[in-house]
Amino acid sequence: MSMLNQLVISAAVEGSVDEAVIRRLIGHVGLTPGPIYGKKGKDDLRKKIRAYNLAAQHAPWVILVDLDNDADCALALRQAWLSNPAPNLCFRVAVRQVEAWLMADRETLAKFLGIPQDKIPNNPEGLPNAKREMAKLAQASRSREIRDDMARRPGSGCAVGPAYPSRLIEYAQKHWRPAVAAQRADSLRRAIACLKQLSACLKQPSR
Amino acid sequence: MRFRKLRLKNWKNFEDTGEVEIPDRLFLVGPNASGKSNFLDAFRFLHDLAASFQEAVARRGGVGALRCLAARRDSDIELRAELEGQEGKRWTYEVAFNQDKQRPPLLKREFVALNGQTLLDRPNDDDRADPDRLTQTYLEQVNVNREFRDLATFFASIRYLHIVPQLVREPDRSVGRTHDPFGGDFLEQVAKTPERTRQSRLGRIKAALQVAIPQLQEIELWRDARGTPHLRGKYEHWRARGAWQTEGQFSDGTLRLMGILWAVMDGQGPLLLEEPELSLHPGVVRVLPQMLARAQRRTGRQVFLSTHSPDLLNDEGIGLDEVLLLIPGREGTEVRTAGSQQDICALLAGGLPLADAIIPMTAPGQAAQLALFADK
Repeated sequence: MSMLNQLVISAAVEGSVDEAVIRRLIGHVGLTPGPIYGKKGKDDLRKKIRAYNLAAQHAPWVILVDLDNDADCALALRQAWLSNPAPNLCFRVAVRQVEAWLMADRETLAKFLGIPQDKIPNNPEGLPNAKREMAKLAQASRSREIRDDMARRPGSGCAVGPAYPSRLIEYAQKHWRPAVAAQRADSLRRAIACLKQLSACLKQPSR
Repeated sequence: MRFRKLRLKNWKNFEDTGEVEIPDRLFLVGPNASGKSNFLDAFRFLHDLAASFQEAVARRGGVGALRCLAARRDSDIELRAELEGQEGKRWTYEVAFNQDKQRPPLLKREFVALNGQTLLDRPNDDDRADPDRLTQTYLEQVNVNREFRDLATFFASIRYLHIVPQLVREPDRSVGRTHDPFGGDFLEQVAKTPERTRQSRLGRIKAALQVAIPQLQEIELWRDARGTPHLRGKYEHWRARGAWQTEGQFSDGTLRLMGILWAVMDGQGPLLLEEPELSLHPGVVRVLPQMLARAQRRTGRQVFLSTHSPDLLNDEGIGLDEVLLLIPGREGTEVRTAGSQQDICALLAGGLPLADAIIPMTAPGQAAQLALFADK
């Protein structure tokens, strides 16, 4: 696969938080993250998805995109975006934002944000806007730093605080437990299963 | 203390900016030559003013060179700043000046107020009796600025950084300048810092740089046989013990990033950065707004920067009130916050990233013509 004898997988994502999450998931299934493409928003990702799919005919790829309110379910969005994915492509949709996946590990997130665990929604995938919810949770934090960094700043016209992405990246890298979160977020469970399957295929000696 | 509002009249590109709200972080965007650097220069001018009014003007080529081309002839140049100090103290500082032929620049007005109470209003009777007094601000004179010395100290704490790697490598070119904004004395500044502080800062810079340059193992200050300070870095290498390189061999990007990181840790006052994206990989540029947001939450200092970089502006933590659009027109450059532009708000509501909404507004309309430059 690669010069270093590791199983490397390329990825395409919407933004920097998604990047941190996908890196964790790739590591979680025993693969090594290669170059991470995109990071310029959802529309940009959609425009380039055919190219990524083409590249996935030669090497393993994973694409992660938020469902948001673009479709009723993940399947509908996947079919609308890419009707014929390459076998080595793991095209996953987070319901409805990747923040829901992070929220699904309530224990560590509550500790990181400095809020009581029962404030974190039980069914994060049911949230219409998990990003807004995350910023709202941060607003209730005991820590001023978390509030200043992550909560929406009035007058900013911006859904989140100034250091929101880097805080979530910090959480995703250091504290978040994908296996625990998967029990509370079905789209995450499926994403991990898909990556595991891809990983198993790649590790077969016949390849 | 923090800047809260700034108004410039007849200052370089700006005939009248109106009152511009100054947030803790400011991103200045606009076409080339729209006045981004000149807007930052207003803050540098206040910095220089705290030392010497005459020098501040002379360094910029005199009043004629400072005055806006769109201004009426001979009109005064005016700067007005509102600031917020500790315990919610509200400061106002205003200065207006002009220059007659063959005469030194003269103040037309100098005004200081604290919480709405006037502390200074010049010209006063003394100035009228002795007009030569108007060649100096009260701000720069310790014997008369006692009531508003905090203001003078704050202005003096403003730092500007635009590291030119060539100057760092060849410090001879800017010999004798301290706090050279172009980095000419960068190594001297590092060398002058007390050792423990320096070690701790270089350690943090190393850790940060390793993200961009994983081969980097160590950074240290090193003096050559003549005692000249150098920064050197140890790179992991096919040789077992790695290889040392000095700043002469560092890449432009490495030097600029080091300069930015050092500046962020050095000082308390507002930090002005000119196009910090230069020479840096987009992956590094994208992270700068986050780094600055977190650094400033810790230190409380304001950061104002100019940029042309979509990668930098695409950070999702940037608020619309933090972006100033500089739009050149016949009457000088207009300054608007992105949040005041309904079309920008609409584009964002429709899902466009901030940079996609803003960069086209600042692109020169006829840029395509440039492609024909070398044609006959």
